Amino acid sequence: MLLSVRNLQTHLHLRRGLLRAVDGVSLEVAEGETLGLVGESGSGKTMTGLSLLRLLPKGSGRIAGGSIQLDGQELTTLSEAQLARDIRGRRIAMIMQDPMTSLNPVFSIGDQVGSPLRNHDIARGTALRGAVVDVLRRVRLPSPGERLGDYPHQFSGGQRQRIVAAMAIGCTPRLLVADEPTTALDVTIQVQIINLLRTIQDDTGAGIILITHDLGVAASLCRRIAVMYAGQIVETGPVRAIYRSPSHPYTQALLAAIPRLGAKRGRLTAIAGQPPSLIDPPTGCRFAARCPSRMAKCAEAPPVVDLGDGHSASCWKLAS
Amino acid sequence: MRAEMFRGVPWLALLVLAAVGICAAGGEALLPFEPGELDLGAAFKPPAWISGDWASPLGADNLGRDILSRIMAGSRVSVIVAFYAILFSGGIGAVAGMVAGYFGGWVDTVLMRLIEIQQSVPAIALALILAAALEPGLPTVVLVIVLTYWAWYARIIRGEIMALKGRDYIAFARVAGVGTARIFLRHLLPNIFNTLVVLATLQVGQVILFEASLSFLGLGIQQPDISWGLMLADARQYITNAWWAITMPGIAIMLTCLASNIFGDWLRDRLDPHLRQL
Amino acid sequence: MLRLFGRRLLQGLFSIIGASIIIFVISRLSGDPIVMMLPNDAPLSAIEEMRRTLGLDRPLWAQYLIFIQHALVGDFGNSYRWKMPALQLIMDRLPATIELAVCGLLFSVAVAVPVGVMSAVNRGGWVDRVGRVFAMLGQAMPAFWVGLLLILLFAIQLNWLPAFGYGSASQFVLPAISLGWYPVAAQTRIVRSAMLDVLDSDHIRLSRALGTPERLIVWKYALRNAAIPLLTMLGVYFAAMLGGAFVVETIFAWPGVGRTVVEAVFARDFPVVQAGVMFTSILFVASNLLVDLSYGLVDPRIRDAR
Repeated sequence: MLLSVRNLQTHLHLRRGLLRAVDGVSLEVAEGETLGLVGESGSGKTMTGLSLLRLLPKGSGRIAGGSIQLDGQELTTLSEAQLARDIRGRRIAMIMQDPMTSLNPVFSIGDQVGSPLRNHDIARGTALRGAVVDVLRRVRLPSPGERLGDYPHQFSGGQRQRIVAAMAIGCTPRLLVADEPTTALDVTIQVQIINLLRTIQDDTGAGIILITHDLGVAASLCRRIAVMYAGQIVETGPVRAIYRSPSHPYTQALLAAIPRLGAKRGRLTAIAGQPPSLIDPPTGCRFAARCPSRMAKCAEAPPVVDLGDGHSASCWKLAS
Repeated sequence: MRAEMFRGVPWLALLVLAAVGICAAGGEALLPFEPGELDLGAAFKPPAWISGDWASPLGADNLGRDILSRIMAGSRVSVIVAFYAILFSGGIGAVAGMVAGYFGGWVDTVLMRLIEIQQSVPAIALALILAAALEPGLPTVVLVIVLTYWAWYARIIRGEIMALKGRDYIAFARVAGVGTARIFLRHLLPNIFNTLVVLATLQVGQVILFEASLSFLGLGIQQPDISWGLMLADARQYITNAWWAITMPGIAIMLTCLASNIFGDWLRDRLDPHLRQL
Repeated sequence: MLRLFGRRLLQGLFSIIGASIIIFVISRLSGDPIVMMLPNDAPLSAIEEMRRTLGLDRPLWAQYLIFIQHALVGDFGNSYRWKMPALQLIMDRLPATIELAVCGLLFSVAVAVPVGVMSAVNRGGWVDRVGRVFAMLGQAMPAFWVGLLLILLFAIQLNWLPAFGYGSASQFVLPAISLGWYPVAAQTRIVRSAMLDVLDSDHIRLSRALGTPERLIVWKYALRNAAIPLLTMLGVYFAAMLGGAFVVETIFAWPGVGRTVVEAVFARDFPVVQAGVMFTSILFVASNLLVDLSYGLVDPRIRDAR
């Protein structure tokens, strides 16, 4: 297995108290596979992604437990220097949400795309320029050779996201964490970027974790999906299974909230209520307060129920 | 509620300011010595903790004048200059800023141009040319500071008024036919009052430094009046003989500025946190 | 960029004209300017000639036009003390003042940038705390007193550096420090808060996520962004240096414009005062203009703005 995360606990020490941003997340990504990590904002999906690279808020964030293994190497015990040298940008790379702010406005894109290559000793000196042009060509940036000296503001949003992708794949990482890579873009550009991610995967065989709140985007790119709610994974399985028979009430509610082409025009169901505070979360099922099929048992932590074919969900309803 | 009011009050700073205020108000009665009194026998008498005595704890200057007494007497000039300079620059700046911000248009354009022009002449150069044209002295010092600082008030107040003008209740008042004078007095002035207080407090330190610099150059307060800057100008010639004559008045300047800056910062955080970037 | 520069140039010209009006009006404040412009013992014929050249029988605005006509061709009258054209005297003294102002600015930036960066990187750490105490103190100490203390310590007590004079490199040290001392606090604050903003930005986060060494992140990728707000203020600070030079030059017997003008005030050498102040104002405006131009060098977004 390329990436294997077991019972990950990420804590943020805030003034208001200890916030359990990620609370017992386990997931696996195989080589060449794309896993969709889906959830609302605040569900801990981005924190999970950042935890893989240990890019937590300085001072307050800490991985409190669990293990993260990349190709069998434990990452949680590595030093900051080892992480920067061997992991970040080298074996795990990240693409961030907003291409308009992800690039440094006062450095040329040649410098920025070249930076990971330089820092990880992939290419230096005279070879660097060629390597940069090559990477930019791989992300289909038009006439890359002439634009190395240009600055981010001279590119469109879609082109900038391609440049960000080029920075990420320059060192041919084994795993790509893409955090909402399409959210800030126009719909047509979204499709292009999704296609780009697909091509990158075909080229390099990297595993991808796609973090998104958009089940549609996840479905178009991923083979498997994990649904997060309040710092935990509540359901995981192949895309088809999740779409055809969503089993956790939260997944069902999420799917019901998507307007679908061809479906009867009905009421768009929004989920009533708010997710629980992660500073002092409820002991039982975290969705219980908003769940339409709540039972007395939900006051206790629900079991993970295997539904076959790699599909599982944590819910008392399924256990009975 | 009362406890909340006094949270984090910089007591030490207030204590220093109070001491300066008492020295300035108390006048001759408080002074250990007549500040102008010469005593050539005591010339260059060092501070008490070195080899002097406790009669003049901070030592004496080249003419044997007691330094502590002169520092206490000099506080009066600082306080008077600060008072008038702030009163006039704040008053003129506030009125100009309110008028420009409220009426906009050409009034505003003229004001902004004036501010730009004012800022293209260095304050100290303005002081020099004024001192050359007029008699140097306390009124000239005040005039220079007012000419330098009114624009600072005007620009900030103008911004505040422009923001206020967009608020509904001002618009309602105008539609309801409330007179302009009334809008200014009842609606605008109370809203910028906090800002004015904060700006005024933050200006105290700068005014004191400015007065000291001018007096040091000989363009400000003139002998036989006593000012901290003037004391330093005197002491400069005897720098090799009496280091205390150089350090003590400077420390008085520094402590007063420090105290008023600290108090101003505290007041700003209490009353008008958005002025932070100043 | 060009249009922006054109607009700034126009604004600058406007300010300089305004400054000349201020200087003109003030120089007429005390009644008969002849009395001020000529030495007390000037012969009657000189007074009469002066009156004619200045056109004092004409209305005030016409007098201003005459003043500006003369000023435009660099004629501020002759210094009676130095027996030479006032403008030439100022020009002769100008290089020393600019050298001092540049050195003062260099000193303040050289202190403010590292301290500001380190305060931001280690917020609440010892650099941050010590820096804040020094900033508070710095803002409460007049430049001339700093100068005197430096002379007392380094020239008199330790005898390391010369207390006054102009020429050798060692003579630059104390004046530059006294001049650059005051703005250090404000500059440190600008750098610190800009760095805090930048370090919290997406592109720095991405840079970190891609394994850029912390040293490069701070001193290369973040600093160039954080330098922009400081750079936009450099014109103001250079101008402040010119103002401060009047005092510092006087203390250190520095043969610059500032000391010359201060001496001219006492000698009632009015043409020199006028020319000096006018010239400082022009320099003031010009330095702001130069900084406007230099933004483009650091910020590519402005380079392309129309």
